[in-house]
Amino acid sequence: MSPKWTVWLGGVLLAAVIAAALYFPALRRQVNKAKVLTEKTAEQARRELLPIAPVSTGDPMVKVKMFWGSRGQEGELLPVVVELPLSRDPVLRAKQVLNTLLAGPVDAESRTLPPDAALLAFYILPDGTAVADFSDEIRTSIPSGIQSEQLAVESILRTLEANVPQILRLKILIHGQEADTLAGHVDLTQLFRVNAKDAAGTQLDNPSPPGSLLPAPIRKAVDKMRRATKR
Amino acid sequence: MVLDPAHGGTDQGARGTEGISESDEILQFAAATKKALETQGFQVILTREGNDNPSFDDRSARANAQRGAVFITMHIASTGLTGTARVYVEPDAPQPSNITGLIPWDRAQTPFLSLSRKMGELVQQELSKRFKGSPDTLQTAPVRQLRTTAAPAIAVEISSVAVKERTELDRMVPGVAESIARGLADFRPTYVVPTIPIPGGSVQP
Repeated sequence: MSPKWTVWLGGVLLAAVIAAALYFPALRRQVNKAKVLTEKTAEQARRELLPIAPVSTGDPMVKVKMFWGSRGQEGELLPVVVELPLSRDPVLRAKQVLNTLLAGPVDAESRTLPPDAALLAFYILPDGTAVADFSDEIRTSIPSGIQSEQLAVESILRTLEANVPQILRLKILIHGQEADTLAGHVDLTQLFRVNAKDAAGTQLDNPSPPGSLLPAPIRKAVDKMRRATKR
Repeated sequence: MVLDPAHGGTDQGARGTEGISESDEILQFAAATKKALETQGFQVILTREGNDNPSFDDRSARANAQRGAVFITMHIASTGLTGTARVYVEPDAPQPSNITGLIPWDRAQTPFLSLSRKMGELVQQELSKRFKGSPDTLQTAPVRQLRTTAAPAIAVEISSVAVKERTELDRMVPGVAESIARGLADFRPTYVVPTIPIPGGSVQP
């Protein structure tokens, strides 16, 4: 090969390497962006499939107590009375108050839950144990820390306690799965005590299958939600 | 004395201004606390010294493998009044009913709750003296890291990564270290490893 051709070939190869070096990072950014969009679309599709608790105009207007953060007192919750049309059915009622809690107070700084989080499903078992399934955003968008996570869980528990007396205990799931923690700190493997009538406490001594802290009925509900999430 | 700088690896914890990440920043708090505790005569183990992320159970196991250990997990929050610090212990829980005299791993903290509270109160008192605006009393929260720890165990959370300048957090380091060391020095004389009753009247230390 003549020296002239070697220079030409070298030049073409160099240009190809430079073009690839410029193109591949942009391509990677596009792939990552597409991946996030696909995940969000899947989450959105699931939300659309799951009916949000209907607010019937026939439901009576009821004064409910919502527990949001207190602006004056750091790390404290403050009951706020609002008037809502609420169902008499405890499951619908629980969905309605939790959706109101998620929608947040007028003052955004008093918010305890991330604005983009959603309640995906809610069940109450015959023994008074409720299971609430939240979208991933409750974990990914919440400010990280013991205080903020504790405030989020407490606001859910106290709002349910004030408005749905049938609920004695609560299990919190994230995207149909049992989670170790909310966002790295507060323990979600346990059942939270909602109502003082629950003498058994948050840590139930019922026999559980090996490797699980959950009593059998809750385990069944968790499995049911996990299957629903996979679909 | 087992000190646990929280998070690490891909889990950066809280992230704030000036690129502050909880997992990095907490290492310097832990290193200073280790030094202050060693000055008080404590033997100190860190659950991590670099950018790794042991599991909750691995971190607890460092304390559970020692007899007479105490455990402190250290965090920096993303919220809260900046320049303050709070101590957390696990909430009250019924003693696990068992017939073996062994402590179930998932509830390892339960027999140590009263000791944890005592230790937490002493550390919180020291922190509230140093950092104005910190609560006078300790807080309760179901902190995952504490549940599986079979030793007096507390979580210390510093506020916050949302400081205007990194130096605000850096200035807290000696005070946090000194407060924890003093609280632990006050706690040491009262610490007796609890015994666990087993059927037949004997006890297991």
